[in-house]
Amino acid sequence: MTKQLFAKLAIKNIRSNKQIYVPYILASIATVAMFYLMTSLVYNDFLMERSSLLPMMFMLGSVVIGVFSFIFIMYTNSFLIKRRKKEIGLYAILGMKKKHVAFVLLLESLITSLGSILIGIISGQIMGRFVFLALNYLLKFPVSMDYPFSFVVALITFAGFTVIFFVALLYNISQVTFSNPIELVKGKQSGEKEPKSSIILFLLSVIFLGSGYGISLSIEDPVSAILYFFIAVLLVIAGTYLLFISGSIFILKAMKKNKKIYYRPNAFISISGMLYRMKQNAAGLANICILATMIIVAVSTTAAIYVGTEGALESRFPYDHNATVFELKDAEKMSEFENLVRTETENAGLALTDYSSYRYETLSGNLESDTFVVPGSSSGNLVPGEMMLIPQEDIERMIGAPLQIEEGEVAVYHSKGPYSASTIELAGQVHPVHQFTDSSVKNKVEEQLKVIEGNNLVETIILVTPSVEGTDSIIADYVEENPELFVFGTRAIIGWNTTGTEDDKIANSHTMDKILNEEGFSTMLDSRDANRQEWYSANGGFLFIGVFLGLLFTFGAILITYFKQVSEGYDDRDKFQIMQKVGLDNQMIEKSTRSQIIWMFFLPLLIAVMHVAFAFPIIQKMLLFFSVTDTTLVVLCIAGVVLFFSLVYWIIYRITSRVYFSIIK
Amino acid sequence: MTLLEVNHLKKTYATRFSNQQVEALKDVNFTVEKGEFVSVMGESGSGKTTLLNILSTLDKASSGEVLLEGKNLADIKDSKVSDFRRKDLGFVFQDFNLLDNFSIKDNILLPLVLSNTPVKEMEARLLPIVEKLGIANLIGHYPYEVSGGQKQRAAVARALITQPKLILADEPTGALDSKASQSLLETFEDINEAGQTIMMVTHSTRAAAHSNRVLFIQDGIVFNEIYRGNQTVDQFMEKITQTLMVLVNRGEQHD
Repeated sequence: MTKQLFAKLAIKNIRSNKQIYVPYILASIATVAMFYLMTSLVYNDFLMERSSLLPMMFMLGSVVIGVFSFIFIMYTNSFLIKRRKKEIGLYAILGMKKKHVAFVLLLESLITSLGSILIGIISGQIMGRFVFLALNYLLKFPVSMDYPFSFVVALITFAGFTVIFFVALLYNISQVTFSNPIELVKGKQSGEKEPKSSIILFLLSVIFLGSGYGISLSIEDPVSAILYFFIAVLLVIAGTYLLFISGSIFILKAMKKNKKIYYRPNAFISISGMLYRMKQNAAGLANICILATMIIVAVSTTAAIYVGTEGALESRFPYDHNATVFELKDAEKMSEFENLVRTETENAGLALTDYSSYRYETLSGNLESDTFVVPGSSSGNLVPGEMMLIPQEDIERMIGAPLQIEEGEVAVYHSKGPYSASTIELAGQVHPVHQFTDSSVKNKVEEQLKVIEGNNLVETIILVTPSVEGTDSIIADYVEENPELFVFGTRAIIGWNTTGTEDDKIANSHTMDKILNEEGFSTMLDSRDANRQEWYSANGGFLFIGVFLGLLFTFGAILITYFKQVSEGYDDRDKFQIMQKVGLDNQMIEKSTRSQIIWMFFLPLLIAVMHVAFAFPIIQKMLLFFSVTDTTLVVLCIAGVVLFFSLVYWIIYRITSRVYFSIIK
Repeated sequence: MTLLEVNHLKKTYATRFSNQQVEALKDVNFTVEKGEFVSVMGESGSGKTTLLNILSTLDKASSGEVLLEGKNLADIKDSKVSDFRRKDLGFVFQDFNLLDNFSIKDNILLPLVLSNTPVKEMEARLLPIVEKLGIANLIGHYPYEVSGGQKQRAAVARALITQPKLILADEPTGALDSKASQSLLETFEDINEAGQTIMMVTHSTRAAAHSNRVLFIQDGIVFNEIYRGNQTVDQFMEKITQTLMVLVNRGEQHD
């Protein structure tokens, strides 16, 4: 009987507090849906097929959204319970025991949380399917993208949010239990104390941000970029929260101390108002900042990958047809190959317009000052680099100028910058480094070697040897030093262009591949045109993921901004009514809230742009995985996305601030 | 010199659910001289609050006029109403209406800040007022850290700091204990003696007894007014009680 009464009371309470419960439940549903969407991507087949890296990235995304959900729900919940303190205090005064009040709170929380979780999962599933369909249609994707329901993900979501809502309930019960009814009745009136500015938190934030940025700035190759990216992200997220919490209070207090600034109508109202609820405000701003950063990074990188596809194709496949021929070493065999290509191209009714070839041998290892060390021989570098050995005659043919590399000498190219030592030690033998006397020849060689390096993902050293025999003797030295060393053997990279349409070239590539292998050349032939379709489909997939994440995070940003405005609207309503009584007009209210826009709008955006700027080096390194080498393109993509997002955010802000005005008036 | 003149003031409300008109004020006439301390008394629903709202430009009269120093309040443009309220009127409310996010000092300075007053002048005005009201040592605190009486003193300081022509007080002792009430009323007398015109709406005969004159409002008209003259507070209070008795009896005769 009494239990029924409590249940009735719980339902009645939610109904009569509609005004604050509706936004709370909506916000909860939305966070659940966001988390569900993000987590389901970890298990999505379509995305797993794109890259093995993606599930890991989405896992990180899930964790971030999980943390964000926790903070956000605790924040909205504390706002809710604060407004209800009076009512709860009244129950106690009217004779309800604390455990009964706790029971009613438990029932209320059960209703709202179970409802939010279930509706959230369902709407997440519907939204996911809808967005997949819409983007599938928009991007005209050749493969179908499916968004199936995943029981595991639903379960994870359910469990995760049950914990979050349970913690919120515990907080509410503790609020009721540890205070007496009179305090509760007055609860809303007793103002929050002005927060203290903490220099320790501020220093911590600087340390976190500094080390996050430091990782980005100091990373040298793409493989370590991937390894350290997540750590940098976590550091920057932590740093951002601390920065907003300590930094904003610090700045506001400094502004308050300056009487000339503080005692102006706008500043007076907005500074004191913001300082008053800075703890929540800071968390909200930090959330928006982090979401904005994620939106910008996700959308701009995937856009850069997609837009940069053509450039990537050209850097990966410099010619229409690109062959790697194994065990091709003799000059005689080389010309035999060239003749075969020439004849077969003409047989196909096309003309050969360009032909280039070079032979090379590789060893993996790293350069340690002036010694190239292969793994296993001494210290193991985490990421092994690569050394390419190319005979000078092949370089001479490509640049069309003679080189004079003497027997025993080598010319050295290093991907990490110019090689300055005058000698290089290879397998215990010290070789003098050839110095080019003619600077134009030097430049040509460097340019050519840069093309050959082709933005290798790891540290690359290219040695130009005096001859094929010179290469062989260096390799022999290494094998002698370490008999178990694996040696690839000399290969040739050969590329040529032909006339004809895209379809002609693709067809020609297929027949050519067959003929070359039949004629005894062990060849891997890649046609740029055949790869184009594949690459656009793969990169379109990435763009899809980026846009999807962008939408998801924008949704989160809308949610926070809206909730911030609504909760602040209710907080500020009484305040503005009092001020109107002592002579504040509507115009001034609008003006003062507009100066808060500077904080709400520009600050998170500004810091997000700063994060992106510092993340640029590491992002650029990671983009090399997708053969995106065009820096200007990446910068343009980021700038475009920043502008576009600012516009979207501005619109969100305008709409939600209208909600705010309608509440306070 | 007449500061405030109220002529044939009438206010009717249309209730939300019917066309029936409710007459809050029928025909109110009175004047307030400069330097007076006037109380307005009446039962709940007699029209006191409506009158105060019209005087403070928060509400508009249906007919009749209110002249402050000969200037009709109805002629003030909408855009200047806030200015007027800030500069010419001072308010003291029953529930203090202090803002929790401002320190006591900033609460007092609020109207000056809104008028863009230079910092030096604000501080020059602040000091004598808070000293006179005995809250000089509290100005760094926040409203939730001080007592009700101290809050109300801060509210009085906020009303005084703009050097208004008229202070309108709405049940200023309503939320205070008797000791704090007593001390606040003495403060009102003090500032009135210093030349400040005050108009106070109250239920309390004790509060009214501190003023120079009491207006009784009933059924939307000024039913009676009595002067204090040279009477002590207690004597005047006796007289007010008697008048109220008459008022109540008259009300019963009507029924």
